[in-house]
Amino acid sequence: MVYCIVVSGRKRLPQGPDRASVFNREGESLRRKMLSLLNIFIITGILIFVAVYSRIDHENAYYNQVDSFENMTVALENITQNYLEGEQGICDVWARYINNRHMTLEEATLFIRESHVLKNTSSHLIYSDTMRGLSTRSVSTAPDEYEVDYRNVDIIGDGKWIADISQAINISRAYTNPMNGEQSLAFINRITVYDETSGTDREAYLLRIVPISDLEEKWAFPQSEFKNAEISVINANGDYIIKGGSFKSSNFFEFYKSYNQISNTDLQDLKESTSGETGSFVMKDSRDNLCVIAHTPVRVTNGWVMLNYIQRSSLDSKTENWILIGVITVGLLFLLAVNTVYMRLFNKKLQQMAKEAESANKAKTVFLSTMSHDIRTPMNAIIGMTTIAEKKIDDPKTVSESLHKISMASNHLLTLINDILDISKVESGNLSLNPIPFSIVESIENLVNISQPMIKEKMIDFDVRIDHVEKEYLYADNIRLNQIYINILSNAIKYTQAGGRICVDLREEESTDPGSVRLTFIVADNGMGMSPEFMKVMYQPFLRQTDSRVNSIQGTGLGLAITKSMVDLMHGTIDCQSELGKGTTFTITIDLPVADKQPDSFELGPIDILVVDDDPVLIETATDTIESLGASAEKAGSGPEALEIIRSRQKTGKNYDIVIVDWKMAGMDGVETAKQIRSEFGNSVPILLVSAYDWSEIETSLPDIGINGFISKPLFRSTLYEKINEILGVEAGAIESEDDYADLAGTNVLVAEDNEINWEIIHTLLEMYGIGSERAENGSVCVEKLNAAREDEFDLVFMDIQMPVMNGIDATKAIRKFENRRIAQIPIIAMTADAFSENISECLNAGMNGHIAKPVDIKIVIREIRKIKEKKQ
Amino acid sequence: MKKLFCVVLVIVLSLAVVSCGKGGEENKEVFTPSLDKETAGEINVVGHYSNFEALEEEFNRFAEYYPNVVLKYTYLDNYKKIISTTLASDNAPDIYFTTPSWVAENSAMYEYAEDLSEPALKINLSCIRDGLLNKDPNGNITMVPIYTTTYGMLVNENIFAKEGLSIPKTYNELIDVCTKLKAAGYENPVMGYSNNTSLLYSLFFPHFCGAISGNEAAILALNALEPSAGEYMRGSLDLVADFMSRGFVNLENCNELKNDYDAVIKRFFEGDIPMMFSSGNTVSGTEKREIQSESFVANPFKYSFHPAPSTDQGGFFLNTISIGFSVNKNSKNLDLTNEFMRFLISTSELNLMAQNKRMVTPCKNMKLDEIYSSFGELSESSIIYVSNLGLADAPDQQVRKAGAQVTNGLMTVDEAVAKFGQFE
Repeated sequence: MVYCIVVSGRKRLPQGPDRASVFNREGESLRRKMLSLLNIFIITGILIFVAVYSRIDHENAYYNQVDSFENMTVALENITQNYLEGEQGICDVWARYINNRHMTLEEATLFIRESHVLKNTSSHLIYSDTMRGLSTRSVSTAPDEYEVDYRNVDIIGDGKWIADISQAINISRAYTNPMNGEQSLAFINRITVYDETSGTDREAYLLRIVPISDLEEKWAFPQSEFKNAEISVINANGDYIIKGGSFKSSNFFEFYKSYNQISNTDLQDLKESTSGETGSFVMKDSRDNLCVIAHTPVRVTNGWVMLNYIQRSSLDSKTENWILIGVITVGLLFLLAVNTVYMRLFNKKLQQMAKEAESANKAKTVFLSTMSHDIRTPMNAIIGMTTIAEKKIDDPKTVSESLHKISMASNHLLTLINDILDISKVESGNLSLNPIPFSIVESIENLVNISQPMIKEKMIDFDVRIDHVEKEYLYADNIRLNQIYINILSNAIKYTQAGGRICVDLREEESTDPGSVRLTFIVADNGMGMSPEFMKVMYQPFLRQTDSRVNSIQGTGLGLAITKSMVDLMHGTIDCQSELGKGTTFTITIDLPVADKQPDSFELGPIDILVVDDDPVLIETATDTIESLGASAEKAGSGPEALEIIRSRQKTGKNYDIVIVDWKMAGMDGVETAKQIRSEFGNSVPILLVSAYDWSEIETSLPDIGINGFISKPLFRSTLYEKINEILGVEAGAIESEDDYADLAGTNVLVAEDNEINWEIIHTLLEMYGIGSERAENGSVCVEKLNAAREDEFDLVFMDIQMPVMNGIDATKAIRKFENRRIAQIPIIAMTADAFSENISECLNAGMNGHIAKPVDIKIVIREIRKIKEKKQ
Repeated sequence: MKKLFCVVLVIVLSLAVVSCGKGGEENKEVFTPSLDKETAGEINVVGHYSNFEALEEEFNRFAEYYPNVVLKYTYLDNYKKIISTTLASDNAPDIYFTTPSWVAENSAMYEYAEDLSEPALKINLSCIRDGLLNKDPNGNITMVPIYTTTYGMLVNENIFAKEGLSIPKTYNELIDVCTKLKAAGYENPVMGYSNNTSLLYSLFFPHFCGAISGNEAAILALNALEPSAGEYMRGSLDLVADFMSRGFVNLENCNELKNDYDAVIKRFFEGDIPMMFSSGNTVSGTEKREIQSESFVANPFKYSFHPAPSTDQGGFFLNTISIGFSVNKNSKNLDLTNEFMRFLISTSELNLMAQNKRMVTPCKNMKLDEIYSSFGELSESSIIYVSNLGLADAPDQQVRKAGAQVTNGLMTVDEAVAKFGQFE
């Protein structure tokens, strides 16, 4: 609620469906953002997980290394302890021996000198009171000098810390051996020696000296991963006893403080933890590198701690697989990018499809609405006129008019239904062709005739121009071809304003297919034209241009879709040039086989004809056609020019055999020209008035004007030939007429029809053509009747599909199974209101030979009957 | 506006030029390794410092050029005596501490030392103050001073500020300040380490050196330990007697100080001593011990080191070598050791080392620690290089002992003068 108030306060939202659309779009945008965020969240989560997992794994590995380092330190401490105990043990043995033997200092020194095995070790025996004594080895720079002086080398202090023999390990700090200057350690025992001078015992110290360099060799880390480790040993104060290279200062804790921030309290804690337990800690060394110090107390000593140093980086086992993380990151980002792009494209496509579907649905809704309207309109006429006819049954004129109007409304209704059927076929891909020989002349004439009422109604300037159409009979599905031409032309008429111009051109050209001609049918109008956007989709079904001018025009939105499909089916091309507000030109080009049957050759003989027309194209095509008939043609572009030409010709004593004048010319029209000719040159020259229009309005005044006859555009060779011959009193070549139904006499048809009215209609219609028919009320009766019939009793069966007891499909299947093969093969034509492509397929699959949709067109019925009879013959 | 811009531009450019000029000397010193940087080896330095963190800093800096070189400093017990043995051993160091007096006493220190003035070594000895470079009779320089020291007094500036006093620059000012401090209730206006030596050594010995400086006859007599040469001490001993007679020094309290280093610093950091006579060596330990002193941590104060004003003109900057480095010519890594010396002997590195240790740099371009700033204010004539003085160690010891006797009231000035040459 609050949201609505806020929004409405800032921006007025659209109302109704548009408002819902806005919300849908906003909702969609929000969902998309949420989805993107979710994707990013998941990817980020995965990356964080991988990084954290890798980090934890790395840390675990590191801690394992640290544990290992600590364990190694403990192991070294054990080695150290054993070593120290061993060294102290030797010292203890010597001290005990000296004490037991009551030796002088010199004797004790001699004894130990002789006991020494190791080259680098030595022993010093010094009186505790003077801190001077003897060494087992001489001064390195004076081979005879054995006296040793510890007065300035304070490693013993007050000596109280030195435990009795075998009670503890008494070890000094690292100090400089006064005899050789080497850094050394001393294992110490308090001993008692005899002083010959005083004749009393004197306390002395026995120092077993071990060079630190020897110890360092023993304290090498065995494991290669710790090869860079350094060992130090500190005493309880932190002073180094052994000092590794990276340990600085003289005291470890001083060293720690120098390079690490630590309070005195924490330093004290560090001291206690270091000396009290095994463990490790991290600190910065003198090079600002992080290092790990593993510590463990040396148990046999008085507060010694072994400290092992290693750089932290040496313990990093490099388990952090940054390449893996990198690859995963790049992979996920790539996937995200690809998915985003793909999803965007997919969504765009979906949106487009949805839009198209929405548009199509909308179009269908409009279409259904239109259909409803279009169906109700003729139905209204049918029902209304039927009511009127019933009421005025005694008035033949009213009844006749009503029936005529009912017939027209019915035909319109049928057209609508046929369109629906056609588009159904188009959509299902079942649109098929039924080629037969046909006359293109008739087709075009029929096209013009059909169009006349609308052209007349809209006062359209209409022209039909025929160029080099020599092959009149062609082989094609003329119904579909007519449908193509009618659709295009009717569109042109519908979308051209009153008083506009439409020009139809039909051209025959050579085809690349042997035995075929290329027919180019062009319809150009100066109507409202189409937008480029609509032209992109104009062949899609149910789409009509959105234009206020168009909306008032009736249409199903199917015509172009059907037309395009049919042109494609005929392997032709359809091209459209259109500009909004300027007009449209459709060009349809189709290669059609030439039929075997052609009219007899037309030959007019040596006659002179004057053609008068202000249309340069038309006059050109007309003269060409006339000349192709063997006659001589001259051209006049207007009425006055025609008069002048006739005048000139008469001066030479000659005259034209016939003058052909176009009716609708600018300035002096055809009628006026004819009047002038008659007025000036008399009635000797026959005049033919040419028009694409209905001439019924002037037909009655023909004799008064002096016009001998009319000829309709287009001017086909045959049309011209027949009309000129008619005017000149020569009988034209006979063209086979379809109005002779004698061939149908004696035909007998079995009609399976459950509906009484339908039966009556078909029966009556057939009867009108001399065709006998018998009714079967349903499929079962039909089967029975055929079963009981003589072999030649019925020529074919018209089979309704939806019937009680047995439907047409089952009946057909049953008939096809007859033992009597002749009856079993009787032609069966479906005659049904089931007019969709699948219905037709079903019929054909059941064994039927054809399909006629209800309401029946008797011409189609007759054509089907004739076809069957022809086959039979 | 344009003018202002031009003026600013000129000033900026001028400053840039000046600053470039100032940096020039050190820039010229940029160390360029002459050995393969991958060279591996070990350099051992031995000395009598139990700690030498400033040198360890240099090790780290050198390791930036030679990461595979291990440098190690080792403290030797009884250094002065053992060094000759150590130098003769298989584990002889590469570099060892020396001082002029040690070299004089211990021939081994000289015999093992390499001539560092050898041009091929390319050691920049010119950065050292001339008065500190000792050449042997052959003109060789076997020791390069690393640290020098001087004598003076640590001053608790907070006390002076509190009492509204200025740090004394002349002897009379010293007397005046001490009088006022005494009156203000300071039991010990002045303290110093007195055991076996004179707590006023920082006062009278620079005075003595100043008195004989340039007097060759006096120096010859003193070096010859002629009894009459004791007279050369009289002025300085009178100074001691005069100062002690004024009651500014409580000898008992001074005698409680166990040594001239830790104990002195610790006592000074108690915060109630306005002036503590000491040497630069003692000053070098102050910074590190600040946090070790609970008193100082609790009540920190500003302190500085000043020349002890022994005359009406002021005090002296008596500059002596604290330690020098000699290179063992038998070093197993002689090239590497010389490379390290070439690196170390430079104004920047020596100044840095001196600052890190709070010692006085031996370099001509002295970059004195702030604590020594008042020494920088002294005139050139007040600077006395003991090594240039020509005074031998024996008369030096005689003078010290005489001073100690007078300071501690064990002898009169006359008695001390008369006993010159006979002190043991």
